[in-house]
Amino acid sequence: MTQTSLPRGASFHLLWIVTAVLAIAIFVADTITPLEINFATLYVVVVLLAARFCQPRGVWGVTVGCFFLAVLSFFLTPPEVALSVGTANTLISMTAIGLTAYISTGLRWTEEKLVEARADEEEVRRLNQEIAKRAAELEAANKELEAFSYSVSHDLRAPLRHVVGFSELLQKQASSSLDDQSQRYIRTIVESAKRMGDLIDDLLAFSRIGRAETKKAAVDLQKLVKEVVAEIGQETKGRDIVWKIGALPVCNGDPALLRLVVVNLVSNAVKFTRMRKPAEIEIGCVNRNENETEVFVKDNGAGFDMQYVDKLFGVFQRLHLREQFEGTGIGLATVQRIVHRHGGTVRAEGAVDHGATFYFSLPKSPHATERTANTS
Amino acid sequence: MSALARILIVEDDPNDLELTLSALSDYNLANEVVIARDGQEALDYLYCRGEFSARTTRNPAVLLLDLKLPKVTGLEVLQQIKSDERLKMIPVVVLTSSHEEKDMIRSYSLGVNAYVVKPVDFHEFVNAVKELGVFWAVINEPPPGSVKK
Repeated sequence: MTQTSLPRGASFHLLWIVTAVLAIAIFVADTITPLEINFATLYVVVVLLAARFCQPRGVWGVTVGCFFLAVLSFFLTPPEVALSVGTANTLISMTAIGLTAYISTGLRWTEEKLVEARADEEEVRRLNQEIAKRAAELEAANKELEAFSYSVSHDLRAPLRHVVGFSELLQKQASSSLDDQSQRYIRTIVESAKRMGDLIDDLLAFSRIGRAETKKAAVDLQKLVKEVVAEIGQETKGRDIVWKIGALPVCNGDPALLRLVVVNLVSNAVKFTRMRKPAEIEIGCVNRNENETEVFVKDNGAGFDMQYVDKLFGVFQRLHLREQFEGTGIGLATVQRIVHRHGGTVRAEGAVDHGATFYFSLPKSPHATERTANTS
Repeated sequence: MSALARILIVEDDPNDLELTLSALSDYNLANEVVIARDGQEALDYLYCRGEFSARTTRNPAVLLLDLKLPKVTGLEVLQQIKSDERLKMIPVVVLTSSHEEKDMIRSYSLGVNAYVVKPVDFHEFVNAVKELGVFWAVINEPPPGSVKK
């Protein structure tokens, strides 16, 4: 790319022929004339011409050639003047040639750098344009997604309500004339429609998590877990649950989303230990490394078969029958999505009838240690 | 269509309309209702133009407004009402299927008086409509210039 500014083709050849002819002419003139006339100084013209078509190395080559010719003619010329004058003349010429070479190569170097900088600038501009284009495409895709979920939330709900509404009106109006079988059919219609409503709600909430902007704040997990456990504890009165809550650190993340993670995991633990007396639910953390902390929620509930562990975090994936444990199967998918958005990972361990443990890792807050010390 | 109506319902979906009316009829409020099927019709009613040019100029005590409407949308109707000196006092309740935050923000920033998401559950829907009807048309004291009981 350094040659982009060099003249090419016919003019290039012409330049170096002219340069060579000129060098020979100066040499001849310098050699056959007495030293009073310092022809050797004219070599600067040769060097200047060389700078037009040569790389810096070439220019210095030509310069050395010129030095050599100047010195050669010094020795070849009959000594008509004092040796000191001849020597001085030659030295002056050589100095002029050297300086010219130095300045002209410097100029060429600057010129090349300028060209390079201009090319770099062009590249940056091109990349910027590319980025702007990608951003516009992303924005368009996002808008489309938003329009899609808007239409799902608005248009899909209405017919569902009508199915339920008119089924129930039918039930009300015709209950006396319908036999048990028909009544059951209507109930099934209503239940299925409600279930579809739940699925739509969950799917929408799930897609909203993917699009929502996450806020970053220091979240005290210990406090958060205690709040969630107190909240869920309200709904589980009459059940025998032994809670164990270990020390939990302060993490960096979106408070509302992290709460959703804890709520999902804790309510799962509560749900799947329904048949245990007492149910044991433990929430604690293990320090994986300096920057990351891993929180776990462990229960002694129904557990799961490890061969299906990959399916656990899928959307609407369920490992139990709906008659056994209610729910749409969006909870763990939500957990995974939120944790991934925070730069963490999720995993699970379990065995059928021997409980399950769910882990999620989060980046630690930079002030984690002091904050924990203050709050505990 | 009653000229003196306490409740103006703006709803394009006939099924929702029927369910709403069936809910209101439980409290004998169905007779107090006038129905507009799109935003244009709602504005015609409020401005007493078109087929409503003969009605008295009293405002309804409450307007139940769907957002997704043909021709003029609910948000446009809301904007028009709240920017008009004669209409801005009418209590407007958005009754919509939309859970979308941007609809809520837009509605509240335009000055809506309540925002109700139509429950998917039929019973909840019926209860919501009944409570809205009783509250806004009976319990709440409407602004001066509204249709009275």
